[in-house]
Amino acid sequence: MTYIPSADDLEVITREVWTSFLDGDPAGLLSGSDGVGAERVTGCVHLSGAYTGSIMLACSAPAARDAAAALFSMQPDAVTQTEVIDAIGELANMVGGNVKSMLPGPSALSLPAVVHGQLAVPGAQMVREVHLTWRSEPLVISLWQQAAQAA
Amino acid sequence: MIVVRTLHLAGYEEHEIVQAANGREAVAAITAAPPDLVLCDWNMPEMSGLELLTALRGAGWHVPFGFVTSEAAPQMREQALAAGAMFLIAKPFTPEDFQEALDPVLA
Repeated sequence: MTYIPSADDLEVITREVWTSFLDGDPAGLLSGSDGVGAERVTGCVHLSGAYTGSIMLACSAPAARDAAAALFSMQPDAVTQTEVIDAIGELANMVGGNVKSMLPGPSALSLPAVVHGQLAVPGAQMVREVHLTWRSEPLVISLWQQAAQAA
Repeated sequence: MIVVRTLHLAGYEEHEIVQAANGREAVAAITAAPPDLVLCDWNMPEMSGLELLTALRGAGWHVPFGFVTSEAAPQMREQALAAGAMFLIAKPFTPEDFQEALDPVLA
């Protein structure tokens, strides 16, 4: 039986990344959120191999800006789209890399991709999702699996 | 950028840092001016970190080399060390992780 990381696993990994790079305060990331609205930034890394699917990190635009500011030690007002894309890509890469280590291998991890808005991966279905709140803004981490493997 | 920031936090701000966008740029930069240490991602465009290390060693370059990567499965660590890497630092990392790995090379 293949072990698929649980929603709690996703939360633990995300907390570790957030605490190390963005806050230093484990209490800064709260469990639960009302979901991310349309004005979102989505980072994604893809896995292919023994496990084929994706790990996505979606957050509100203000959360993405604040994450970039924290990650690169900048004032939020000085953050440009370049830093937002770099930050969300890097965060998705870190969360995805750690999730990968809990999945069956061998699998290859892609370079991260970042979009403004919602990202869909054709043929993939969501198998895990965790809702979090950071600085009063929503953050959602999800694990997807290609339908052929999920069946 | 987070690696550079962490290098500064770890106390290496006096060192000159040269960045390469991909493996091919890295080969050109390393062979043009061999650095004291190469810090390299595992996943990169053009050429993976492991391919870069293998190419350098195959060409006779023995510059100290370490990986900084978002994944650290045991077999990756084994592959990295077998190919000639000195260490593999997994993200998320701390400035102390950098000091522990880099001090033996740079201090």
